[in-house]
Amino acid sequence: MKRCIIIGRPNVGKTMFALQFAVYLGVAEARIAFAEAGGRRWEKTYDMGNAVANLTGSAPHHTRQLQALRLELPAGKGKREFELLDTSGLVDGIHPDAGIRRAMAQTLAAVRDAHVILHMIDAAAVGRADPVRAIGEVDYQVAQFAQMRDGYLLVANKMDLPEASRGLARIRREFVGHPVAPVSALHRQGFYEVKAFVGRHI
Amino acid sequence: MHAEVAGSKVEPRTVDEILEWLSAGRISSGEAFALFRRLETAPAPAANDGGEGEQQRLAVAMAELDDLIGLEPVKELVRELQAFVAIQRRRAEERLSTEPMALHMVFRGNPGTGKTTVARILGRMFQAMGVLPRGHLVECERADLVGEYIGHTAQRTREHIRKALGGVLFIDEAYALARGGEKDFGKEAIDTLVKAMEDHKDELIVILAGYRQEMEYFLSVNPGLRSRFPIQIDFPDYTPDELYRIAQRMCEQRQYRLSPAAGLRLRRLLEQGQASTPYSGNARLVRNLIERAIRRQAVRLVRRKRLTRDDLITLEAVDLAGAGADPVRLPRPVAGWTLGEAGVACR
Repeated sequence: MKRCIIIGRPNVGKTMFALQFAVYLGVAEARIAFAEAGGRRWEKTYDMGNAVANLTGSAPHHTRQLQALRLELPAGKGKREFELLDTSGLVDGIHPDAGIRRAMAQTLAAVRDAHVILHMIDAAAVGRADPVRAIGEVDYQVAQFAQMRDGYLLVANKMDLPEASRGLARIRREFVGHPVAPVSALHRQGFYEVKAFVGRHI
Repeated sequence: MHAEVAGSKVEPRTVDEILEWLSAGRISSGEAFALFRRLETAPAPAANDGGEGEQQRLAVAMAELDDLIGLEPVKELVRELQAFVAIQRRRAEERLSTEPMALHMVFRGNPGTGKTTVARILGRMFQAMGVLPRGHLVECERADLVGEYIGHTAQRTREHIRKALGGVLFIDEAYALARGGEKDFGKEAIDTLVKAMEDHKDELIVILAGYRQEMEYFLSVNPGLRSRFPIQIDFPDYTPDELYRIAQRMCEQRQYRLSPAAGLRLRRLLEQGQASTPYSGNARLVRNLIERAIRRQAVRLVRRKRLTRDDLITLEAVDLAGAGADPVRLPRPVAGWTLGEAGVACR
Protein backbone atom coordinates (compact mmCIF):
# COMPACT_ATOMS: atom_id res chain seq x y z
CA MET A 1 0.00 0.00 0.00
CA LYS A 2 1.27 3.44 -0.85
CA ARG A 3 1.87 5.88 1.94
CA CYS A 4 1.16 9.56 1.87
CA ILE A 5 2.70 11.59 4.67
CA ILE A 6 1.85 15.05 5.92
CA ILE A 7 4.70 16.98 7.44
CA GLY A 8 5.31 20.53 8.50
CA ARG A 9 6.05 22.79 11.40
CA PRO A 10 3.96 22.46 14.55
CA ASN A 11 0.48 23.84 14.50
CA VAL A 12 0.20 24.43 10.78
CA GLY A 13 -2.87 22.21 10.67
CA LYS A 14 -1.61 18.81 9.68
CA THR A 15 -4.04 16.81 11.77
CA MET A 16 -6.95 19.03 10.85
CA PHE A 17 -6.08 18.57 7.23
CA ALA A 18 -5.80 14.79 7.58
CA LEU A 19 -9.18 14.50 9.23
CA GLN A 20 -10.96 16.90 6.93
CA PHE A 21 -9.38 15.27 3.91
CA ALA A 22 -10.77 11.96 5.13
CA VAL A 23 -14.20 13.55 5.39
CA TYR A 24 -13.73 14.96 1.90
CA LEU A 25 -13.02 11.46 0.60
CA GLY A 26 -16.26 10.27 2.15
CA VAL A 27 -15.15 8.76 5.44
CA ALA A 28 -17.76 9.13 8.18
CA GLU A 29 -15.87 7.42 10.93
CA ALA A 30 -12.13 7.64 11.28
CA ARG A 31 -10.33 4.53 12.39
CA ILE A 32 -6.93 5.82 13.31
CA ALA A 33 -3.87 3.73 13.99
CA PHE A 34 -1.54 5.45 16.41
CA ALA A 35 2.11 4.60 16.67
CA GLU A 36 4.25 6.20 19.34
CA ALA A 37 7.96 6.65 18.93
CA GLY A 38 8.43 4.42 21.96
CA GLY A 39 6.81 1.54 20.12
CA ARG A 40 3.35 1.61 21.69
CA ARG A 41 0.61 1.15 19.15
CA TRP A 42 -3.12 1.35 19.42
CA GLU A 43 -6.16 1.96 17.33
CA LYS A 44 -9.17 4.08 17.99
CA THR A 45 -12.28 4.86 16.05
CA TYR A 46 -13.71 8.34 16.17
CA ASP A 47 -16.63 9.89 14.47
CA MET A 48 -15.42 12.92 12.65
CA GLY A 49 -16.62 15.61 15.03
CA ASN A 50 -14.99 13.92 17.96
CA ALA A 51 -11.82 13.34 16.06
CA VAL A 52 -11.36 17.01 15.30
CA ALA A 53 -12.16 17.99 18.87
CA ASN A 54 -9.83 15.40 20.38
CA LEU A 55 -6.92 15.35 18.02
CA THR A 56 -6.44 18.97 17.07
CA GLY A 57 -5.77 22.04 19.15
CA SER A 58 -4.40 25.52 18.96
CA ALA A 59 -1.28 24.79 20.98
CA PRO A 60 1.66 23.42 19.02
CA HIS A 61 2.70 19.79 19.30
CA HIS A 62 -0.72 18.41 19.88
CA THR A 63 0.20 15.40 17.78
CA ARG A 64 3.12 13.49 19.18
CA GLN A 65 2.93 10.22 17.32
CA LEU A 66 2.23 8.92 13.87
CA GLN A 67 -1.45 8.73 13.19
CA ALA A 68 -2.42 6.65 10.20
CA LEU A 69 -5.71 6.78 8.38
CA ARG A 70 -6.63 4.28 5.72
CA LEU A 71 -8.32 6.01 2.83
CA GLU A 72 -9.50 5.15 -0.63
CA LEU A 73 -9.23 7.07 -3.84
CA PRO A 74 -11.06 6.13 -7.01
CA ALA A 75 -8.57 4.75 -9.51
CA GLY A 76 -9.76 3.70 -12.90
CA LYS A 77 -12.80 1.53 -12.45
CA GLY A 78 -11.97 0.56 -8.91
CA LYS A 79 -10.53 2.09 -5.81
CA ARG A 80 -7.03 2.29 -4.51
CA GLU A 81 -6.29 2.19 -0.84
CA PHE A 82 -3.58 4.33 0.64
CA GLU A 83 -2.41 5.34 4.05
CA LEU A 84 -2.50 8.97 5.10
CA LEU A 85 0.10 9.53 7.79
CA ASP A 86 -0.30 12.44 10.12
CA THR A 87 2.87 13.34 11.97
CA SER A 88 4.28 15.35 14.79
CA GLY A 89 5.47 18.84 13.87
CA LEU A 90 9.07 19.55 12.95
CA VAL A 91 10.87 22.40 14.65
CA ASP A 92 14.06 24.23 13.88
CA GLY A 93 16.96 23.87 16.21
CA ILE A 94 17.11 21.34 18.95
CA HIS A 95 13.96 20.92 20.92
CA PRO A 96 14.43 20.65 24.70
CA ASP A 97 11.73 17.99 25.07
CA ALA A 98 13.17 14.53 24.41
CA GLY A 99 9.70 13.17 23.69
CA ILE A 100 9.22 15.64 20.86
CA ARG A 101 12.67 14.94 19.52
CA ARG A 102 11.86 11.25 19.40
CA ALA A 103 8.57 12.00 17.68
CA MET A 104 10.44 14.06 15.08
CA ALA A 105 12.87 11.23 14.48
CA GLN A 106 9.90 8.98 13.97
CA THR A 107 8.45 11.45 11.49
CA LEU A 108 11.69 11.60 9.55
CA ALA A 109 11.93 7.84 9.38
CA ALA A 110 8.41 7.74 7.98
CA VAL A 111 9.21 10.48 5.44
CA ARG A 112 11.91 8.33 3.92
CA ASP A 113 9.47 5.52 3.30
CA ALA A 114 6.59 7.65 2.07
CA HIS A 115 5.54 7.72 -1.56
CA VAL A 116 3.84 11.08 -1.40
CA ILE A 117 4.96 13.95 0.81
CA LEU A 118 2.49 16.69 1.58
CA HIS A 119 4.51 19.50 3.07
CA MET A 120 2.23 21.88 4.90
CA ILE A 121 2.97 25.51 5.56
CA ASP A 122 0.81 27.96 7.46
CA ALA A 123 0.19 30.62 4.80
CA ALA A 124 -1.43 32.98 7.28
CA ALA A 125 1.56 32.86 9.57
CA VAL A 126 3.84 33.50 6.60
CA GLY A 127 1.64 36.48 5.67
CA ARG A 128 1.92 37.84 9.19
CA ALA A 129 5.63 37.12 9.17
CA ASP A 130 5.11 35.19 12.39
CA PRO A 131 8.63 34.32 13.53
CA VAL A 132 7.72 30.94 15.02
CA ARG A 133 5.28 29.50 12.57
CA ALA A 134 6.45 31.01 9.29
CA ILE A 135 8.84 29.27 6.93
CA GLY A 136 11.86 27.97 8.79
CA GLU A 137 15.12 26.22 8.10
CA VAL A 138 13.48 22.83 8.29
CA ASP A 139 11.02 23.81 5.54
CA TYR A 140 13.84 24.68 3.16
CA GLN A 141 15.63 21.47 4.01
CA VAL A 142 12.49 19.42 3.42
CA ALA A 143 11.99 21.08 0.04
CA GLN A 144 15.57 20.36 -0.94
CA PHE A 145 15.35 16.80 0.27
CA ALA A 146 12.11 16.27 -1.63
CA GLN A 147 13.54 17.67 -4.85
CA MET A 148 14.58 14.20 -5.83
CA ARG A 149 11.09 12.85 -5.36
CA ASP A 150 8.11 12.85 -7.57
CA GLY A 151 5.29 12.95 -5.08
CA TYR A 152 6.06 16.19 -3.30
CA LEU A 153 3.39 18.85 -2.87
CA LEU A 154 3.54 22.02 -0.84
CA VAL A 155 0.21 22.67 0.85
CA ALA A 156 -0.40 26.26 1.92
CA ASN A 157 -2.95 25.97 4.70
CA LYS A 158 -5.21 28.42 6.52
CA MET A 159 -6.15 30.24 3.33
CA ASP A 160 -9.38 31.32 5.01
CA LEU A 161 -7.44 33.83 7.13
CA PRO A 162 -6.99 37.35 5.75
CA GLU A 163 -3.17 37.47 5.70
CA ALA A 164 -2.94 34.16 3.90
CA SER A 165 -2.95 35.34 0.30
CA ARG A 166 0.17 37.40 0.94
CA GLY A 167 1.65 34.37 2.60
CA LEU A 168 0.82 32.21 -0.40
CA ALA A 169 2.60 34.61 -2.74
CA ARG A 170 5.64 34.50 -0.48
CA ILE A 171 5.58 30.69 -0.34
CA ARG A 172 5.45 30.54 -4.13
CA ARG A 173 8.44 32.88 -4.30
CA GLU A 174 10.44 30.96 -1.73
CA PHE A 175 9.82 27.55 -3.25
CA VAL A 176 10.03 28.24 -6.93
CA GLY A 177 9.72 25.08 -8.95
CA HIS A 178 7.62 23.18 -6.47
CA PRO A 179 3.87 22.85 -6.90
CA VAL A 180 1.87 24.66 -4.23
CA ALA A 181 -1.75 23.89 -3.37
CA PRO A 182 -3.60 26.52 -1.35
CA VAL A 183 -6.15 24.96 1.00
CA SER A 184 -8.21 25.70 4.00
CA ALA A 185 -8.25 22.54 6.06
CA LEU A 186 -10.86 23.90 8.41
CA HIS A 187 -13.31 24.62 5.59
CA ARG A 188 -12.26 21.78 3.29
CA GLN A 189 -11.43 24.18 0.51
CA GLY A 190 -8.88 23.54 -2.22
CA PHE A 191 -8.93 19.80 -1.55
CA TYR A 192 -9.63 18.88 -5.15
CA GLU A 193 -6.11 19.71 -6.22
CA VAL A 194 -4.58 17.75 -3.39
CA LYS A 195 -6.76 14.77 -4.14
CA ALA A 196 -5.80 14.90 -7.81
CA PHE A 197 -2.13 15.10 -6.89
CA VAL A 198 -2.32 12.19 -4.45
CA GLY A 199 -4.33 10.22 -7.01
CA ARG A 200 -1.60 10.70 -9.58
CA HIS A 201 1.11 9.46 -7.27
CA ILE A 202 -0.34 6.41 -5.57
CA MET B 1 26.50 21.93 14.63
CA HIS B 2 28.36 18.70 14.15
CA ALA B 3 30.50 17.31 16.86
CA GLU B 4 34.15 17.74 16.11
CA VAL B 5 36.47 15.03 17.20
CA ALA B 6 40.21 15.36 16.69
CA GLY B 7 39.63 17.98 14.05
CA SER B 8 37.58 15.76 11.76
CA LYS B 9 33.86 16.15 11.44
CA VAL B 10 31.93 13.24 12.78
CA GLU B 11 28.64 12.68 11.08
CA PRO B 12 26.01 10.05 11.31
CA ARG B 13 26.42 7.80 8.31
CA THR B 14 23.29 5.72 8.21
CA VAL B 15 19.61 6.47 8.44
CA ASP B 16 19.40 4.93 11.87
CA GLU B 17 22.30 7.00 13.10
CA ILE B 18 20.75 10.18 11.77
CA LEU B 19 17.49 9.41 13.55
CA GLU B 20 19.34 8.53 16.72
CA TRP B 21 21.24 11.80 16.67
CA LEU B 22 18.02 13.65 16.05
CA SER B 23 16.26 12.12 19.03
CA ALA B 24 19.34 12.60 21.16
CA GLY B 25 19.23 16.31 20.35
CA ARG B 26 22.59 16.37 18.61
CA ILE B 27 21.19 17.64 15.31
CA SER B 28 18.08 19.55 14.34
CA SER B 29 15.42 18.13 12.06
CA GLY B 30 16.58 20.46 9.29
CA GLU B 31 20.09 19.08 9.56
CA ALA B 32 18.66 15.60 9.57
CA PHE B 33 16.94 16.27 6.26
CA ALA B 34 20.15 17.66 4.83
CA LEU B 35 21.95 14.51 5.91
CA PHE B 36 19.25 12.36 4.37
CA ARG B 37 19.69 14.18 1.14
CA ARG B 38 23.41 13.65 1.19
CA LEU B 39 22.86 9.99 1.92
CA GLU B 40 20.58 9.61 -1.07
CA THR B 41 22.68 11.56 -3.51
CA ALA B 42 25.93 9.97 -2.41
CA PRO B 43 27.20 7.37 -4.84
CA ALA B 44 26.17 3.87 -3.98
CA PRO B 45 28.73 2.26 -1.77
CA ALA B 46 30.66 -0.26 -3.81
CA ALA B 47 30.66 -2.90 -1.13
CA ASN B 48 26.93 -2.96 -1.11
CA ASP B 49 26.04 -6.46 -0.22
CA GLY B 50 28.81 -8.91 -0.40
CA GLY B 51 32.00 -6.97 -0.78
CA GLU B 52 35.12 -7.62 -2.76
CA GLY B 53 34.67 -11.27 -3.62
CA GLU B 54 31.27 -10.81 -5.18
CA GLN B 55 32.33 -7.71 -7.08
CA GLN B 56 35.25 -9.61 -8.43
CA ARG B 57 33.19 -12.62 -9.42
CA LEU B 58 30.80 -10.32 -11.20
CA ALA B 59 33.67 -8.65 -13.02
CA VAL B 60 35.01 -12.05 -14.07
CA ALA B 61 31.63 -13.11 -15.40
CA MET B 62 31.21 -9.87 -17.31
CA ALA B 63 34.72 -10.10 -18.73
CA GLU B 64 33.98 -13.61 -19.89
CA LEU B 65 30.90 -12.33 -21.62
CA ASP B 66 32.83 -9.53 -23.30
CA ASP B 67 35.37 -12.07 -24.42
CA LEU B 68 32.83 -13.93 -26.55
CA ILE B 69 33.13 -13.16 -30.20
CA GLY B 70 30.18 -11.43 -31.81
CA LEU B 71 26.80 -11.72 -30.04
CA GLU B 72 26.61 -7.96 -29.61
CA PRO B 73 22.83 -7.77 -29.12
CA VAL B 74 23.01 -10.56 -26.55
CA LYS B 75 25.80 -8.87 -24.65
CA GLU B 76 23.86 -5.66 -24.59
CA LEU B 77 20.78 -7.39 -23.22
CA VAL B 78 22.78 -9.14 -20.55
CA ARG B 79 24.31 -5.85 -19.51
CA GLU B 80 20.86 -4.32 -19.37
CA LEU B 81 19.73 -7.20 -17.22
CA GLN B 82 22.68 -6.79 -14.92
CA ALA B 83 22.02 -3.08 -14.53
CA PHE B 84 18.32 -3.73 -13.96
CA VAL B 85 18.96 -6.22 -11.20
CA ALA B 86 21.55 -3.98 -9.57
CA ILE B 87 19.25 -0.98 -9.58
CA GLN B 88 16.25 -2.93 -8.36
CA ARG B 89 18.35 -4.11 -5.43
CA ARG B 90 19.44 -0.56 -4.69
CA ARG B 91 15.83 0.57 -4.85
CA ALA B 92 14.78 -2.19 -2.50
CA GLU B 93 17.37 -0.97 -0.05
CA GLU B 94 15.84 2.47 -0.18
CA ARG B 95 12.46 0.83 0.24
CA LEU B 96 11.26 2.18 -3.08
CA SER B 97 8.79 0.10 -4.98
CA THR B 98 10.53 -2.47 -7.14
CA GLU B 99 9.62 -4.38 -10.23
CA PRO B 100 9.17 -8.05 -9.57
CA MET B 101 12.27 -9.80 -10.79
CA ALA B 102 11.10 -12.52 -13.09
CA LEU B 103 14.32 -13.56 -14.67
CA HIS B 104 13.17 -16.61 -16.57
CA MET B 105 14.25 -16.41 -20.17
CA VAL B 106 13.80 -17.75 -23.62
CA PHE B 107 16.87 -18.08 -25.80
CA ARG B 108 16.05 -18.26 -29.45
CA GLY B 109 18.64 -19.10 -31.99
CA ASN B 110 20.22 -21.75 -34.12
CA PRO B 111 22.41 -24.41 -32.56
CA GLY B 112 25.93 -23.38 -31.83
CA THR B 113 25.17 -19.72 -31.49
CA GLY B 114 26.22 -19.51 -27.87
CA LYS B 115 23.05 -20.16 -25.93
CA THR B 116 24.49 -22.57 -23.41
CA THR B 117 27.64 -20.54 -22.97
CA VAL B 118 25.69 -17.39 -22.26
CA ALA B 119 23.38 -19.27 -19.89
CA ARG B 120 26.39 -20.47 -17.95
CA ILE B 121 27.78 -16.96 -17.70
CA LEU B 122 24.39 -15.62 -16.63
CA GLY B 123 24.26 -18.19 -13.84
CA ARG B 124 27.61 -17.03 -12.55
CA MET B 125 26.64 -13.38 -12.95
CA PHE B 126 23.45 -13.79 -10.95
CA GLN B 127 25.30 -15.74 -8.34
CA ALA B 128 27.84 -12.94 -8.00
CA MET B 129 25.02 -10.43 -7.69
CA GLY B 130 23.34 -12.45 -5.00
CA VAL B 131 20.25 -13.27 -7.03
CA LEU B 132 20.99 -16.98 -7.09
CA PRO B 133 22.65 -18.78 -4.22
CA ARG B 134 24.67 -21.20 -6.35
CA GLY B 135 24.53 -20.12 -9.96
CA HIS B 136 25.31 -23.47 -11.52
CA LEU B 137 23.78 -24.66 -14.75
CA VAL B 138 21.76 -27.83 -15.15
CA GLU B 139 21.22 -28.77 -18.77
CA CYS B 140 18.41 -30.98 -19.83
CA GLU B 141 16.11 -31.66 -22.74
CA ARG B 142 12.87 -33.40 -23.44
CA ALA B 143 14.25 -36.88 -23.00
CA ASP B 144 15.46 -36.04 -19.50
CA LEU B 145 12.16 -34.63 -18.38
CA VAL B 146 9.50 -36.74 -19.99
CA GLY B 147 8.81 -40.11 -18.45
CA GLU B 148 7.34 -43.34 -19.68
CA TYR B 149 4.16 -43.65 -17.73
CA ILE B 150 1.68 -41.41 -16.01
CA GLY B 151 3.22 -39.64 -13.06
CA HIS B 152 6.73 -40.51 -14.14
CA THR B 153 7.18 -37.20 -15.92
CA ALA B 154 6.40 -35.03 -12.92
CA GLN B 155 8.80 -37.08 -10.89
CA ARG B 156 11.62 -36.79 -13.39
CA THR B 157 11.00 -33.11 -13.96
CA ARG B 158 11.02 -32.41 -10.26
CA GLU B 159 14.25 -34.27 -9.92
CA HIS B 160 15.92 -32.00 -12.44
CA ILE B 161 14.43 -28.96 -10.82
CA ARG B 162 15.81 -30.08 -7.49
CA LYS B 163 19.24 -30.41 -9.02
CA ALA B 164 18.95 -26.94 -10.50
CA LEU B 165 17.74 -25.19 -7.34
CA GLY B 166 19.94 -22.26 -6.57
CA GLY B 167 21.03 -22.05 -10.16
CA VAL B 168 19.85 -22.12 -13.72
CA LEU B 169 17.77 -24.85 -15.33
CA PHE B 170 18.56 -24.81 -19.00
CA ILE B 171 16.09 -26.70 -21.14
CA ASP B 172 17.45 -27.22 -24.62
CA GLU B 173 15.10 -27.75 -27.53
CA ALA B 174 12.32 -26.81 -25.18
CA TYR B 175 9.75 -26.71 -27.96
CA ALA B 176 9.96 -30.51 -28.07
CA LEU B 177 7.94 -30.51 -24.86
CA ALA B 178 4.94 -29.36 -26.83
CA ARG B 179 5.39 -31.98 -29.49
CA GLY B 180 2.92 -34.81 -29.59
CA GLY B 181 -0.24 -32.96 -28.80
CA GLU B 182 -2.56 -32.90 -25.82
CA LYS B 183 -1.97 -36.38 -24.47
CA ASP B 184 1.77 -36.13 -24.60
CA PHE B 185 3.64 -36.19 -21.31
CA GLY B 186 5.52 -33.11 -22.40
CA LYS B 187 2.60 -31.05 -21.21
CA GLU B 188 2.92 -32.56 -17.77
CA ALA B 189 6.55 -31.53 -17.73
CA ILE B 190 5.59 -27.97 -18.60
CA ASP B 191 2.98 -27.88 -15.84
CA THR B 192 5.43 -29.21 -13.28
CA LEU B 193 7.97 -26.69 -14.42
CA VAL B 194 5.59 -23.76 -14.14
CA LYS B 195 4.60 -24.80 -10.66
CA ALA B 196 8.22 -25.09 -9.60
CA MET B 197 8.94 -21.65 -11.00
CA GLU B 198 6.29 -20.25 -8.70
CA ASP B 199 7.35 -22.31 -5.68
CA HIS B 200 11.03 -21.52 -5.99
CA LYS B 201 10.77 -17.98 -7.30
CA ASP B 202 13.90 -16.81 -5.55
CA GLU B 203 16.19 -19.73 -6.14
CA LEU B 204 15.65 -20.85 -9.68
CA ILE B 205 15.95 -19.32 -13.09
CA VAL B 206 14.60 -21.33 -15.98
CA ILE B 207 15.92 -20.80 -19.48
CA LEU B 208 14.15 -22.34 -22.44
CA ALA B 209 16.26 -22.62 -25.53
CA GLY B 210 15.62 -23.62 -29.09
CA TYR B 211 15.34 -22.69 -32.72
CA ARG B 212 13.68 -19.38 -33.34
CA GLN B 213 10.62 -20.52 -35.27
CA GLU B 214 9.98 -23.56 -33.14
CA MET B 215 10.23 -21.57 -29.92
CA GLU B 216 7.88 -18.97 -31.34
CA TYR B 217 5.36 -21.70 -32.09
CA PHE B 218 5.92 -23.31 -28.70
CA LEU B 219 5.19 -20.06 -26.87
CA SER B 220 2.18 -19.33 -29.02
CA VAL B 221 0.51 -22.66 -28.18
CA ASN B 222 1.26 -22.17 -24.46
CA PRO B 223 0.09 -18.63 -23.89
CA GLY B 224 0.71 -18.81 -20.15
CA LEU B 225 4.37 -19.41 -20.78
CA ARG B 226 5.11 -16.23 -22.63
CA SER B 227 4.22 -14.04 -19.68
CA ARG B 228 6.23 -16.25 -17.36
CA PHE B 229 9.30 -15.83 -19.52
CA PRO B 230 9.44 -12.09 -19.91
CA ILE B 231 13.00 -12.00 -21.19
CA GLN B 232 13.53 -13.21 -24.70
CA ILE B 233 16.95 -13.13 -26.19
CA ASP B 234 17.64 -13.74 -29.85
CA PHE B 235 20.95 -15.28 -30.75
CA PRO B 236 21.88 -14.21 -34.24
CA ASP B 237 23.91 -16.47 -36.48
CA TYR B 238 27.58 -15.67 -36.63
CA THR B 239 28.80 -13.85 -39.68
CA PRO B 240 31.60 -15.54 -41.67
CA ASP B 241 33.95 -12.98 -40.25
CA GLU B 242 33.03 -13.80 -36.67
CA LEU B 243 33.31 -17.49 -37.46
CA TYR B 244 36.78 -16.88 -38.77
CA ARG B 245 37.79 -15.15 -35.57
CA ILE B 246 36.31 -18.03 -33.59
CA ALA B 247 38.35 -20.45 -35.70
CA GLN B 248 41.49 -18.48 -35.01
CA ARG B 249 40.85 -18.54 -31.33
CA MET B 250 40.18 -22.26 -31.37
CA CYS B 251 43.47 -22.83 -33.13
CA GLU B 252 45.30 -20.64 -30.67
CA GLN B 253 43.85 -22.49 -27.74
CA ARG B 254 44.93 -25.79 -29.21
CA GLN B 255 48.35 -24.33 -29.99
CA TYR B 256 47.92 -24.52 -33.74
CA ARG B 257 48.20 -21.82 -36.32
CA LEU B 258 46.55 -21.39 -39.69
CA SER B 259 48.95 -20.70 -42.49
CA PRO B 260 47.97 -17.68 -44.59
CA ALA B 261 46.76 -19.93 -47.37
CA ALA B 262 44.75 -22.02 -44.94
CA GLY B 263 43.24 -18.85 -43.53
CA LEU B 264 42.04 -17.80 -46.93
CA ARG B 265 40.69 -21.23 -47.64
CA LEU B 266 38.83 -21.30 -44.35
CA ARG B 267 37.28 -17.93 -45.04
CA ARG B 268 36.04 -19.17 -48.38
CA LEU B 269 34.65 -22.33 -46.87
CA LEU B 270 32.81 -20.37 -44.24
CA GLU B 271 31.30 -18.05 -46.78
CA GLN B 272 30.21 -20.97 -48.92
CA GLY B 273 28.78 -22.72 -45.92
CA GLN B 274 26.80 -19.67 -44.99
CA ALA B 275 25.30 -19.56 -48.45
CA SER B 276 24.47 -23.24 -48.69
CA THR B 277 22.64 -24.00 -45.47
CA PRO B 278 20.65 -21.92 -43.06
CA TYR B 279 22.01 -23.63 -39.97
CA SER B 280 25.65 -23.08 -40.69
CA GLY B 281 26.19 -19.80 -38.93
CA ASN B 282 27.46 -21.41 -35.82
CA ALA B 283 30.56 -22.13 -33.94
CA ARG B 284 30.15 -25.88 -33.94
CA LEU B 285 30.67 -25.96 -37.66
CA VAL B 286 33.94 -24.17 -37.14
CA ARG B 287 35.01 -26.55 -34.46
CA ASN B 288 34.32 -29.51 -36.70
CA LEU B 289 36.32 -27.93 -39.49
CA ILE B 290 39.27 -27.22 -37.25
CA GLU B 291 39.28 -30.59 -35.56
CA ARG B 292 39.08 -32.32 -38.88
CA ALA B 293 41.94 -30.21 -40.15
CA ILE B 294 43.99 -31.13 -37.13
CA ARG B 295 43.50 -34.82 -37.84
CA ARG B 296 44.39 -34.40 -41.49
CA GLN B 297 47.48 -32.50 -40.57
CA ALA B 298 48.47 -35.38 -38.33
CA VAL B 299 48.04 -37.83 -41.21
CA ARG B 300 50.08 -35.56 -43.43
CA LEU B 301 52.92 -35.27 -40.95
CA VAL B 302 53.09 -38.73 -39.53
CA ARG B 303 55.06 -40.16 -42.47
CA ARG B 304 57.66 -37.44 -42.44
CA LYS B 305 61.08 -38.19 -41.07
CA ARG B 306 62.01 -34.74 -39.96
CA LEU B 307 59.59 -32.40 -38.31
CA THR B 308 60.15 -28.88 -37.09
CA ARG B 309 58.23 -27.30 -34.29
CA ASP B 310 56.72 -25.01 -36.88
CA ASP B 311 55.40 -27.96 -38.91
CA LEU B 312 53.61 -29.27 -35.87
CA ILE B 313 51.92 -25.95 -35.27
CA THR B 314 50.87 -24.98 -38.74
CA LEU B 315 47.66 -26.06 -40.42
CA GLU B 316 47.99 -25.85 -44.17
CA ALA B 317 45.35 -25.24 -46.80
CA VAL B 318 45.51 -28.90 -47.82
CA ASP B 319 44.41 -29.92 -44.35
CA LEU B 320 41.29 -27.86 -44.70
CA ALA B 321 40.52 -29.10 -48.16
CA GLY B 322 39.29 -32.43 -46.96
CA ALA B 323 37.18 -30.89 -44.29
CA GLY B 324 35.64 -28.65 -46.87
CA ALA B 325 34.94 -31.54 -49.18
CA ASP B 326 32.63 -32.77 -46.51
CA PRO B 327 29.21 -31.33 -47.06
CA VAL B 328 28.75 -28.56 -44.57
CA ARG B 329 25.59 -29.81 -43.05
CA LEU B 330 24.87 -30.08 -39.43
CA PRO B 331 23.19 -32.83 -37.61
CA ARG B 332 20.44 -31.81 -35.26
CA PRO B 333 22.12 -31.07 -31.98
CA VAL B 334 22.59 -34.00 -29.67
CA ALA B 335 22.34 -33.66 -25.93
CA GLY B 336 25.55 -33.88 -24.03
CA TRP B 337 27.84 -32.14 -26.46
CA THR B 338 30.46 -30.58 -24.38
CA LEU B 339 31.17 -26.94 -24.07
CA GLY B 340 34.12 -25.87 -26.13
CA GLU B 341 36.92 -25.20 -23.72
CA ALA B 342 37.44 -22.06 -25.64
CA GLY B 343 34.56 -20.46 -23.84
CA VAL B 344 33.62 -19.83 -27.40
CA ALA B 345 30.07 -20.44 -28.27
CA CYS B 346 29.93 -24.04 -29.21
CA ARG B 347 28.50 -26.91 -27.39
